[in-house]
Amino acid sequence: MSSIETLFLIFISTGFAVGFGHCVGMCGPIVVSFSLHLESKRVLISNLLYHSGRIMTYAVLGGVVGITGSFTRVTAGIAILQKAVMIFTGLIIVVMGLSMGGWISLGRIFGDHYNPGGIITRGFGKMSGVRSTAAYLPLGLLLGLLPCGPVYTALIAAARAGMEIQTPFKAFLSGMGLMVSFGLGTIPSLLLVAGLTDMKWLRSREVIYKIGSVLMIAVGIYFAIKGIQY
Amino acid sequence: MPNAFLARMARPASMVMAWMVLFAATAETVSIQAAETDRPVMVNCDVQNTACRQEISGTEVTFDISPKPVKAMTDLRFRITLTGGQPKALSYIDLGMPGMKMGPNQVSLQNMGAGVYEGVGIIVRCPSGKRLWKAAVVLPGIGIAEFIFDVIY
Repeated sequence: MSSIETLFLIFISTGFAVGFGHCVGMCGPIVVSFSLHLESKRVLISNLLYHSGRIMTYAVLGGVVGITGSFTRVTAGIAILQKAVMIFTGLIIVVMGLSMGGWISLGRIFGDHYNPGGIITRGFGKMSGVRSTAAYLPLGLLLGLLPCGPVYTALIAAARAGMEIQTPFKAFLSGMGLMVSFGLGTIPSLLLVAGLTDMKWLRSREVIYKIGSVLMIAVGIYFAIKGIQY
Repeated sequence: MPNAFLARMARPASMVMAWMVLFAATAETVSIQAAETDRPVMVNCDVQNTACRQEISGTEVTFDISPKPVKAMTDLRFRITLTGGQPKALSYIDLGMPGMKMGPNQVSLQNMGAGVYEGVGIIVRCPSGKRLWKAAVVLPGIGIAEFIFDVIY
């Protein structure tokens, strides 16, 4: 087995370990908030689309750090964007929590002048999975930019691997491949969390749903505050 | 009878398990607070101001990072100085956060001579805001020296 194949295995197993040790805590709230909004039959496909989008973003970042061999330059370039994505994610979770708890409809959030056909409302509607499962792919693409310690660590390793490859194109492909491996490894833990939200008894209990909504709102506020502080 | 008992217990058991996972999704907030409380006890290295020392198996290990202040997301030079013993194989530093898995982040150390070992690495920024980091200096044949310190974000 070549050294790059060994690296792929290391990255996928690292993703798997980090998934259960880190992602469930940090990204679990996002997956929970999106999944609870979905009809049971669409939970799996929506989550797979979301993770596909997230991994595509990792792949692009991996390719860029692979070809440049510099982690710090790339992350410095996207820092502002990451901050914005984190705040945005927090706000989405809060909105979904309020909506799921039945305290406010997506329409009422936008005031008395709520326009069901408006761009913002349509956007939230799609993101909440009410209308379009396909919206989870671009959502994953965007949220793949969320600041994340283990993703950073994987990118450092991808940059180091890229530095040892002579051809820029091969370095790009290597970075992409390594980050795809890492991302694939993180999927099982997050699918497990999504799967638990799909349990029928959970969805049928109003009190549990309300508690989940409160947790979502708290986590959303936490994300937004951390995003502002980032 | 045992089957009926298991069937009766399955739902509450699955409910408890599911809630454990769902609550784990927000547990980071709680653990961050706990870590803040633990901070004065856990930190054993004021690397922002000075080099840190520990003795392992009769060898004094001096650990330092430059440039100062030590900031996350920048290239950092890690310097280990050994007095009294030398490692039997390649040494490295494992960077991580106490109580939070961040993935393997290792800094390979090169022998610069006269007991000095150096390597370049990056401490990543955790979006949770936690600033407590741990550098486990792995010295084959000597042992592992753990330095816990704060970084600046």
